Amino acid sequence: MSFLLGTVLLAVVTAMACALPGVFVVLRRNSMLVDAISHAVLPGIVVGYFFTRSLDSPLLILGAALAGLVVVLGSEYLSRTGLLTGDAPQGLIFPALFSAGVIMVTLNFANVHLDTHAVLVGDLNLAAFHQLQIGGVLAGPSYLYVMLAVLVVNGVFLAVCYRRLKISTFDPGFARSLGLRPGALNTAFMFLVSVTVTAAFHAAGAILVIALVVVPPATAYLLTGRLPMMIGLTLAIAAGGALAGFWLAYLADAATSAGMAVFYGLVFAAVFTATRLRQRLRARRESAPAAAA
Amino acid sequence: MTPAEFFADHTFRMVLFGTSVIGLVAGALGSFAYLRKQSLISDVISHAALPGTLGAFLFTVLVLGADGRSMIALLTGAVLVGTISVLFANHVARVSKIRIDTAMAITLTIFFGAGMLLMRIITDRPFPGKGGIQDYLFGNASVITYADLVTSIGVGGLALVLMVVFWKEFALRTFDADHASVLGFGARTIDALMFGTIVIATIIGLKAVGLVLMVAFVVTPPAAARQWTRTLPGMVTLSGLIGAAGSGIGAYLSIVLGDVPTGPLIVLTLFGFFVLSVLLAPGRSIVTRALERARARRRLKAELSAP
Repeated sequence: MSFLLGTVLLAVVTAMACALPGVFVVLRRNSMLVDAISHAVLPGIVVGYFFTRSLDSPLLILGAALAGLVVVLGSEYLSRTGLLTGDAPQGLIFPALFSAGVIMVTLNFANVHLDTHAVLVGDLNLAAFHQLQIGGVLAGPSYLYVMLAVLVVNGVFLAVCYRRLKISTFDPGFARSLGLRPGALNTAFMFLVSVTVTAAFHAAGAILVIALVVVPPATAYLLTGRLPMMIGLTLAIAAGGALAGFWLAYLADAATSAGMAVFYGLVFAAVFTATRLRQRLRARRESAPAAAA
Repeated sequence: MTPAEFFADHTFRMVLFGTSVIGLVAGALGSFAYLRKQSLISDVISHAALPGTLGAFLFTVLVLGADGRSMIALLTGAVLVGTISVLFANHVARVSKIRIDTAMAITLTIFFGAGMLLMRIITDRPFPGKGGIQDYLFGNASVITYADLVTSIGVGGLALVLMVVFWKEFALRTFDADHASVLGFGARTIDALMFGTIVIATIIGLKAVGLVLMVAFVVTPPAAARQWTRTLPGMVTLSGLIGAAGSGIGAYLSIVLGDVPTGPLIVLTLFGFFVLSVLLAPGRSIVTRALERARARRRLKAELSAP
């Protein structure tokens, strides 16, 4: 497999792995939590490195995902105390965790050499650098298989918990009365989001991760009101956007992650404008006969 | 290090005063973002300010041919694009079925992505005066100059004056939006002004603190202040004071301790203020509530067991 093809595949698989849970993130109004998780991951990586001593260890992803979960559960706890309003709980914990991470890096805790800038921006080409060799044959970037595994885990979780997730997303009260324990389900789901964000982080960087999780589902949500349709559209937009965005960034010689994030944004803006225009035309058509009569 | 030695050093003074001004303005104006239940808008603003800052840099260097480090030019670009990002996020949430959290996340990623594209263009080419442009990502408090301090006092002061002048309108719009509309106050105009002041509060700290951590300056002091007071003037004042004190203490500690970066240490100090407030504030905190509940339980038990 050529280097370019491997990198493109990595982009597509990462996009789909992120967008799939993103559907429920958007529907459950947790979009800004992804931003919070992606920043909180930094101290998790540093502490994880302290124990594993390897930046490629899968344990590192789990450790960092736990740090993401601290943000999720911590902000939910703060909301439940009733002492804070609005989205403030989400904004309180992640800067503190990120600060702790930055301080640990500068104090050289665990001797980890992390470029905070690289963590924030990410680089697909760098993540695709390690090639997997099977029996002397190059089988593409090894990180491609990590992201494939994440995609499969996400797919299986959503397939198994589809009905429960659906009910607890649209009618939490009903879910509770059925004995479905929406709290436990939410924790499991957010942990999976956290794992996905952490894994994708290495390939895409913080900005593109948020774009991948939130923008394709939001675009699909503009186009349809039905959940199965929304999931299908989300995957199509995620994959198509990754292909087109990657090529455009490649041709324009621009920063890959940032270019792809902007491309997804442009797709959203185009769909947003189109649906607005359609709404307006329909409103005019409906009001025209009424005015004539 | 003695306080006398500390204040004798120009850089230390600039760091201390500079961050305290940032903390004061961001804390005071953050109260309105908190009460509007849209604290995270400051995270969107700080990320969206990046393309604004870099665009202004390119504009001053390429079109005006002036020094790209002019604080006023960079601030203007940041305020302009920051305000556009707020208007865009609120517009998307108002006219479509996309909700505000998703609208904010989308806005953040589009604008920040555009900023990183510009960043690559600037770092790849030999523009004069591009040194230090990277500081806007993570901030660098030790580069606060006397001119920067004067600018942030001027711009932050302007935002505070706006807040005082439009105090009644801001308060009415925050607590009873419908009543404000009925009385004939233009909702859009007040919102634009209010979010404009929040934009200023967010961007004056970018160079010193960085865009990732700026959200903490806007969110944390109001959340701490809210636990101690029930009035709007009390909350705004206390929040500003907590912001200023937390920033001052954090900056002082970072200099005394040596190698610890200033921004993150201030954020941890502010977070400490918040944790203390939410645990111990009289009237409405976790510990006071637990004590009250225990007292009530004892009283009930005593009443039930009394003959």
